[in-house]
Amino acid sequence: MNCKQVRTYIVILECVIALSLGFVLPATYAMTPDEILRKSDEARGNADGIEWEIAMDSIESGREQQRTLKVSARSFNSLAEFLAPANVKGQKMLMVDRNMWFAKPGLSKAVPISPRQKLLGGAANGDIASTNYAGDYKISHVSDGMANKESCYLFDLTAIDKKATYDSIKYWISKERLVGVKAEFYTVSGKMFKTAIFEYNNSISVEGEARPFISRMLITSAIIKEDVTTMNFRKVSFRKIPDSMFNLNLLVK
Amino acid sequence: MAVLIWPGTGFADTDAEPVKTGKTFAEQFAMEFRVLTYGILQEPSYSTQNPGNNFLRMPRYLGDMELRPDLRFNRDSLELMVKPRMRLEYSAWTGAGMREQGSNWDDDWYINEWLARVKVRENLFVSYGRENLQWGPSFLFSPSNPFFPDNGRRNPYLEVPGSDFARLVWIPGSSWTFSLIANTEEGRSKPIGPDPFEKIYAAKIDYTGRENYASLILSHKERTGNTMGFMGGWTLTDAVLFYAEGAIIEGSRSLYPERERSFFGSSMQQIYKDSNTLKPVILIGGSYTFESKGTLTLEYAYNGQGYNDAQADRYYALRRSAANVLASGNMMTGLSQMTLGQTANTGLKFLRRNYLLFQYLQNNIKNVIDLTLRWTQNLDDASCQFTTLVTYYLGNHMELFSVGTISGGGKNTEFGSTINYQLMTGIKYTF
Repeated sequence: MNCKQVRTYIVILECVIALSLGFVLPATYAMTPDEILRKSDEARGNADGIEWEIAMDSIESGREQQRTLKVSARSFNSLAEFLAPANVKGQKMLMVDRNMWFAKPGLSKAVPISPRQKLLGGAANGDIASTNYAGDYKISHVSDGMANKESCYLFDLTAIDKKATYDSIKYWISKERLVGVKAEFYTVSGKMFKTAIFEYNNSISVEGEARPFISRMLITSAIIKEDVTTMNFRKVSFRKIPDSMFNLNLLVK
Repeated sequence: MAVLIWPGTGFADTDAEPVKTGKTFAEQFAMEFRVLTYGILQEPSYSTQNPGNNFLRMPRYLGDMELRPDLRFNRDSLELMVKPRMRLEYSAWTGAGMREQGSNWDDDWYINEWLARVKVRENLFVSYGRENLQWGPSFLFSPSNPFFPDNGRRNPYLEVPGSDFARLVWIPGSSWTFSLIANTEEGRSKPIGPDPFEKIYAAKIDYTGRENYASLILSHKERTGNTMGFMGGWTLTDAVLFYAEGAIIEGSRSLYPERERSFFGSSMQQIYKDSNTLKPVILIGGSYTFESKGTLTLEYAYNGQGYNDAQADRYYALRRSAANVLASGNMMTGLSQMTLGQTANTGLKFLRRNYLLFQYLQNNIKNVIDLTLRWTQNLDDASCQFTTLVTYYLGNHMELFSVGTISGGGKNTEFGSTINYQLMTGIKYTF
């Protein structure tokens, strides 16, 4: 066997090993549960400087209601401006970390509101922004599970403190796609009060890599199954959002 | 497929709409147009402030139609806003205090607010305009705000008149904001109290933390003195908010009842006009949001500028004397009218020192109703005021609203002095 043949064998062997590793090792190889959770957060808007439009459709006690919002978010801050229908147009909700204010045309000043104050139907205010599960919740347990016929990691998340929107969450993260596909939200007494299904038909590219991005969140009340809130995320775009966007002094009513 | 590039990050959006290099005029311009039509039914209190409604001569019925377009233009570094208003009002008097004509029509055309703001740098903004410049978390009133005695919370369907401001806002970081504010003209906002408008200059420092915020406001009135205002809020849990707001006020141009050798034995005087006396006004409050959506708010306010018991007794005695003279119609009627004018407009937002506010708010009941119930209690004279605000949404453009107020307490109490009840009902249509 001459040197040329040896080099050829070595190259082939390297390729075989590399391909084998690619098939055998999952994408999550060596990823810790924290990293998996952070990765799944990235597909729900937890990126610096993002804008999207949310079309919300809520059915509560048989009554249907729609809202369209334009949301600008960066890190833990977001500004939501209501675009439609006409009677809520111009209303604004500003979230600066855990501090939240609500302003509407005609109302003299922005009113501080708590994270629990609902936006519409089953959607909490924290749902429209980049709710950061990795930052707000600690992982108490990870197991295997199935959601929508998809093999998942099942994360049991507990709020780090009482400032989180929910007390605890069961969160299914697709093993293959590393996105959250289902969530169950629980009260402090352990009672489930709503579930959410996530869809990722939007796509973003981060440094050349295509990533799925949230397109729909379907929230169903655990108490009244007919109460459903759908949030469709569209017109997703990244742009550099300055601090002034989240400044209460500059919030023109 | 559209591709969006944010320089320097490598971020690209493949499915979203393409980034636009410039906005069209339609995208830069925004307008909201509201029409309000409402009627007010009220019963004046025949108190010593308003004997037989012959002093305040409040109408029994009011009918209003208001056109409220809000126009905004936002292009790169320039932001323009204007809120022109047209108001047509019908007033009718019945019974006591009735005017000769019995009814009156009036119209008013004005600019309630306008603003021109320039972004000098990404973190530096300069503006001038007529604004309703409000801040602070409290419902009862906003003691940290030296510009507006009315925070607009009592009746959200009535607009607070704007005043003219020059502002510079500097945002050195996400947590800090520094503002310089000059209140240059009164605009449409009339100052309370006996004195005309005086310019106010203020420096405001804001801090916003992860679950809290705080502000310090140092202000100087051209003639009266200095005020140090402060406010802060804390999101204790996802359901509980705690907040505080207050001011330390140097001197005052408000009127206080003082004994003197005059016809009534006392008169209203500006006893702290040239004084360096510091008076605190402190408000603390908190709210709890139930799982069932409703939010309960409790506030306590200490108004250090308000009358103590002796001053209140003197105030009401003076009012009684002036009212008796007004009723008798003797030659001192002019003095009694002047005195009642002073007692009606002392320059104090609240007359006494200790107040409580309870409020229950629930929005989106059955997806169509917003409800607010508010109880304000004067702890010093036991008078109270109960307010209900109800909004019923009829489709996406129209809402029915109602603001009802009932006052409790005797005729010689703060909330019992002006009206017994007031009911405002109307329709708001948004185009």
